[in-house]
Amino acid sequence: MSNIAGKAYAMNVISPLRPSMTWLNKFLFWSAGTLPGVLKGLITLSLIHYARWVIIGRDQFPHLDETQPKEELSYNYMLFFSNFNGSWDQYVDSFTFAIPGGLDTLWKWTVRYPKSVPLTPFHDYIRYNQIETIHYYNAYPLAASNDVKSAKTVKSSLIKFNQDTQNLSDDEFLKSYNTLLRGLQHDLGDMHPTPIVSMSAYQVERRQAWHEKNLLEQQEQSHGK
Amino acid sequence: MASNISGNAYALTILSPIKDGFTQDEIAYSDIVRDRLQGWNAESNSPMTLTPQTYLCRFFVLDDVYTESLPGASALDTIVDWLPFVPDWARRCALPAEDHLKSRYLVFSSNFYCGPGGSVDDYLRGMWNAIGDRVQDIWGYCYGFEAVNDADSFIAYMKKCQLTATLFFVGANDDPLEEQLKALYLKQEFAKFAVDNQGLSAAELKQNFQAFFERVQPANLSAPTWAAGKYRLD
Repeated sequence: MSNIAGKAYAMNVISPLRPSMTWLNKFLFWSAGTLPGVLKGLITLSLIHYARWVIIGRDQFPHLDETQPKEELSYNYMLFFSNFNGSWDQYVDSFTFAIPGGLDTLWKWTVRYPKSVPLTPFHDYIRYNQIETIHYYNAYPLAASNDVKSAKTVKSSLIKFNQDTQNLSDDEFLKSYNTLLRGLQHDLGDMHPTPIVSMSAYQVERRQAWHEKNLLEQQEQSHGK
Repeated sequence: MASNISGNAYALTILSPIKDGFTQDEIAYSDIVRDRLQGWNAESNSPMTLTPQTYLCRFFVLDDVYTESLPGASALDTIVDWLPFVPDWARRCALPAEDHLKSRYLVFSSNFYCGPGGSVDDYLRGMWNAIGDRVQDIWGYCYGFEAVNDADSFIAYMKKCQLTATLFFVGANDDPLEEQLKALYLKQEFAKFAVDNQGLSAAELKQNFQAFFERVQPANLSAPTWAAGKYRLD
């Protein structure tokens, strides 16, 4: 299993939703996605790459063949998928501390949702309803969500800077360069691998190291003979 | 009302029912799917690196649904606890129902760049063309996948398994993947440049910057840049 790919963590949560309340829940999601400013709280959680909620009706699970048994469920289900940076605790707690009201508004229609405050019952609920990812792929394991955003600023600033400084004297160039650095001071910074970039990368590197060590020992033995 | 699209980013959610059966060695089909996906973790990088425009994606097997049920935790339950003459069936009615799935589902969730057109077809076609054999390996035990033999039938199949996102939130950005990777490469290189070129004279700095700009070619998205899925700084 691998919930981790570089700096990103994949969270999957499935929660039963009372059919009588689903319309209201969908309306609240629609409001959150449509009305300006409602998602402001979520935007402040800059550790998120992408997140989504999917509500499946109890009779809407894909049915592709006559031989496939039809689902007979009492509840509709809400699936939550998130891609974020940092640890599980940091992420779950950031919801509790930053947007407890907003989170509760979207989630409280699910069965036995304990609310996001206090922390311990909320942790228990997420743990109970979380499903482990088997394979997780990230196109940029070295980067956090903030790196992706700041990289865009760096790229456009560099191109503009190059255009603007084509005909400047050396001293004027230096002045502009210092202005550029001052402007980008929140966007620059080295990216490095996390201690375990991904479970897959870790496993591959461990195996490579093991083979290299064995090969070296074999070579030494054959030279010794 | 609900939408899979936010700007130029697309949220693809696929639930493919896995056949309820066993191989001759008595291994459940769902376990084979799980095992093959697990095998992807041991490769030097994910096969999904080859699928164009994929930002982040995941696979897992949904074995069942979960209903957390603690006795005496709901409002009705508390009321019946206060009334000892209430029969047991009434108490049981106050507890959540117990749901179970009849099939296991392969879940594939992907976030990718779809462009202004917002079509999922191009993405799925790119996926089939890049890793069609790996796709067959994973989806081969799912109901209805027998009919898939080319990109068009794959797109049609995936659309039957697709669920619509109720709310899709983009926290990073929705640029094309090549654009994002080039920008990350530039950020890394320029941070290094800024550190290495401190305290130089104006003339030297200008000369070095021009050489740097020529080397990194900011407008050229194909090279030099980061490869998709790059996890080491070499």
